[in-house]
Amino acid sequence: MPAPLGARLGRMSPTSTEVFERVVRPHFDRLYRLAWRLAGSKAEAEDLFQEVLIKAFAKLDELVTIDEPGSWLSRVMYNLFIDERRRFSRRRLVIVEEGQLPGDGLAAFEGGPTPTGDHERLEKFERLERALDQLSVEHRIIVLLHDTEGYKLTEIEALTGTPVGTIKSRLHRARARLRQILTDDGTLSSP
Amino acid sequence: MTDNTQNTDAMEQELLALLKDYPMPDATAGFYDQALVRAAHEGTRRQRNRWIMTGFGGAVAAGLAILIVSGTFFQAPEAPVADPGIPGVTIALAEPRTVNLVFSSAEALDTATLTVSLPPGIELAGFPGQSEVTWETSLAEGRNLLPLKLLAVTPAGGEVLARLEHDDRDRTFRLRVDVS
Repeated sequence: MPAPLGARLGRMSPTSTEVFERVVRPHFDRLYRLAWRLAGSKAEAEDLFQEVLIKAFAKLDELVTIDEPGSWLSRVMYNLFIDERRRFSRRRLVIVEEGQLPGDGLAAFEGGPTPTGDHERLEKFERLERALDQLSVEHRIIVLLHDTEGYKLTEIEALTGTPVGTIKSRLHRARARLRQILTDDGTLSSP
Repeated sequence: MTDNTQNTDAMEQELLALLKDYPMPDATAGFYDQALVRAAHEGTRRQRNRWIMTGFGGAVAAGLAILIVSGTFFQAPEAPVADPGIPGVTIALAEPRTVNLVFSSAEALDTATLTVSLPPGIELAGFPGQSEVTWETSLAEGRNLLPLKLLAVTPAGGEVLARLEHDDRDRTFRLRVDVS
């Protein structure tokens, strides 16, 4: 096992920054995905992710004693988003290209023109994105965490503090609403 | 199983497949490393509770300007213009209207704070009863857009102030709102 960076540099003990990185970095990808699903766009997701790290660093003494720092970080992120959702919602200063509507959800994907098949697929996801925007925040978060990110109901319960029964009910209603919207706009096959 | 149930099940499966594949972009290259550095810097600052309240005065950054565009923002001229007076818009009573503030910054600004102050009788849609709303945000180099949905709840009108702060510098922009 490699020695901590601080030790390799000849210090007696690792710096707080090194300890912090060692604790939080393994959870970055999952945390970023959660941020994106909560905020719905890259810029807000990065803002949210950043703010959680700042809060976590300020509580480093507490963080290093926690058995599951990943779950702790996720809860901090969820609570921060709910408490300050306006700050981390899509309403923010965004860079605007001439003649282009604001929005950096799916539009944040890099790359050039897509082949026709990909274009149709992207359009489907854009319609899904618009349909998700019509759900309440609570419904949107649950359906994205469960059906897109694969969170278990108990994991969502631990994250949000919402009982499993309520989560199931919201999930059912959210899917029904999405089916309705996406059937009406022709995205899903009509009965 | 009835046809209706089968159709619902089929659509449910189609929906679940769509949700499962719903993509998201990766974080910006180098973002994780930058976030760690910022967290250590800002987290330390918060630990020590050394918040510095900055005063007013001075410009945010050289080349920072504002263009206030009413209606569809993409009809805006190419470059922001220096405002000779206070720009204004007229909105109808009780009818929300979006006013787009387009900030142009000569450089990217991180952790900027934008505060919108509203006169009595003018509200931001979604923020009922609040005379001041604050965002922490960042400005990209170039043009940055803030759409504000204004709602007149009385016919008085007044001045909307948008104050942008970054480090120890700030700048305030004014928008006259008349109610018809």
